[in-house]
Amino acid sequence: MRNEFLLILALAAGPAWAEPTHRVFVTNERGDSITVIDSRTLAVEATVPVGKHPRGIGLAPDGTEVYVALGKENAIAVLDPKTLKVLRKIPSGDDPEAFAVHPNGHIYLSNEDAAKASVLDPKSGKVIAEIPVGLEPEGVAISPDGKQVIVTSESTNMLHVIAVPEHRVVANILVGARPRAAVFNHDGTIAYATSEISGEVKRVDMVKHRVLNKVPLGDDNIKPKDILVSRDGTTLYVAGGRANQVIVLDEKTLGTKTRIPVGQRVWGLAMSDDGSRIYTTDGASNTVSVIDTAKNQVLATIKVGEAPWGVVIDDGS
Amino acid sequence: MTLRAIFLFFWLVLGANAAFALDVELAYIGDPADAVYSGVSQGLEEANLQGQFLGQRYRLTSFAPGERNRAPSSQAAVLLAALGDRELVELGERAPGRAVFDLGSESDALRARCLPNLLHILPSTRMKADALAQWQRLHPESRAQVQAWHPDFTKYAAEQLNRRYRKAQGRDMDDRAWAGWAAVKMVADSVARLGTAAATPLLDYLKTDLAFDGQKGVTMSFRKNGQLRQMLLIVEGPRIVGEAPVKGVVDPTDLDSLGPVDCATSSDSS
Repeated sequence: MRNEFLLILALAAGPAWAEPTHRVFVTNERGDSITVIDSRTLAVEATVPVGKHPRGIGLAPDGTEVYVALGKENAIAVLDPKTLKVLRKIPSGDDPEAFAVHPNGHIYLSNEDAAKASVLDPKSGKVIAEIPVGLEPEGVAISPDGKQVIVTSESTNMLHVIAVPEHRVVANILVGARPRAAVFNHDGTIAYATSEISGEVKRVDMVKHRVLNKVPLGDDNIKPKDILVSRDGTTLYVAGGRANQVIVLDEKTLGTKTRIPVGQRVWGLAMSDDGSRIYTTDGASNTVSVIDTAKNQVLATIKVGEAPWGVVIDDGS
Repeated sequence: MTLRAIFLFFWLVLGANAAFALDVELAYIGDPADAVYSGVSQGLEEANLQGQFLGQRYRLTSFAPGERNRAPSSQAAVLLAALGDRELVELGERAPGRAVFDLGSESDALRARCLPNLLHILPSTRMKADALAQWQRLHPESRAQVQAWHPDFTKYAAEQLNRRYRKAQGRDMDDRAWAGWAAVKMVADSVARLGTAAATPLLDYLKTDLAFDGQKGVTMSFRKNGQLRQMLLIVEGPRIVGEAPVKGVVDPTDLDSLGPVDCATSSDSS
């Protein structure tokens, strides 16, 4: 009797997290829209106008909202992943581009022209904190436990490490010229960063805040951008820009395992929850390439809107 | 808050109280009304913004051209000079083992002398001629000019630099201002990586190890004749119409297709 009573209570309270929609959301920078792809069929479900110059995209930790940075509206649009309606727009400061969503729901956004990072609460729309960083901040990465945030400053060639909740810069790590993106490994002890001009990937100890090893990716055309870690932590995937390839690296040595040809000017990467697939945004061919990570091959190429930039998957990851 | 306000805040708070790990002196020798000086000032602000995260502080002392002989006896780690060729050579001889940035000359003869401590930022006359020749292979009728920079350049990270320079300095960034900015920026980047501003290690690093992002896309470094190898802009009237090395004529990353790379032999020097 008691168990049934508790069950009824639990059902009445409603789910703590939304059921994943299994949708892949892609921002089309010049199309001013989002392409919505069903990850189970790989069919395009919809193209949704979202606002001007959409780039960075992210998902709320409870899966109930999709966030899109609108560069020419100085705002973050909030979308319902089920109904695809734009619910509201939050003022974000000038020209928002890249951001990451914290496990606590806050948005950490880099303000490229203002040498700072902002912390926004998407529920209230308020700016909670502003943290001065170096020139041209771009990439934002959050550790799995939420205690460290990396902001890359492109013109100052550094990774700034911000402690949460203090919101103070606690370390500054010099990396290769024009660092673009960073990502933490699964226990937050190591981070990997890409540098556009030096064409490098650096592996950084995030406990001691120093560079462990680095590797140039070799080809002058590779201006690396997004970087991901495999689910088992042994492999890195790097978007290779105009090399039109995803470069697959050994996590520890940073040696190249293979290169996967994708569409043109690949920048954005997202990985499925089970790690079996990676979706790339091919900005100059207006496509998304779907990589089978077991075979390291493209299994589908999907036509999306104009100049795809960012990609995020709502599948429980 | 504007960039300046943020910088000033840190300068006042940290400068007054904290001991900086490294104090770096720079010397400018030239006319303070020269656009070069404006670029140097912008570079200085950015060097200090970067420096605040690394415990490094940059200060600039200026010398008018008539005072140039006092500059070598200063503590400056590098000399930033907007002078005539003859004055520049003399300055270089008076400051052996210290980097002297040539921010004004386009002379190929000067570069061919391969003076050991001169670093030339602006493109030389022959570099520009080579760029134009490449462009004219595809556009024979073109009457273009060749420039190192343009205030309307937006590709790569040029837009960000043009925007913040215009906002801070109140004018457009031209070749000479870009040269002044680039010299200071590459010094700050080098000091950041070396952890020292000692003159000779800094000069060596600049000549051999520098991989500089000057916010115009392709990585820049110095040739053995002291010339900064760089991409150039093809400009017709007010508009940028192309980039050199010219795609379709050469590999766009082949920066040494623009201008001479070698030193003059002793029989060539005049």
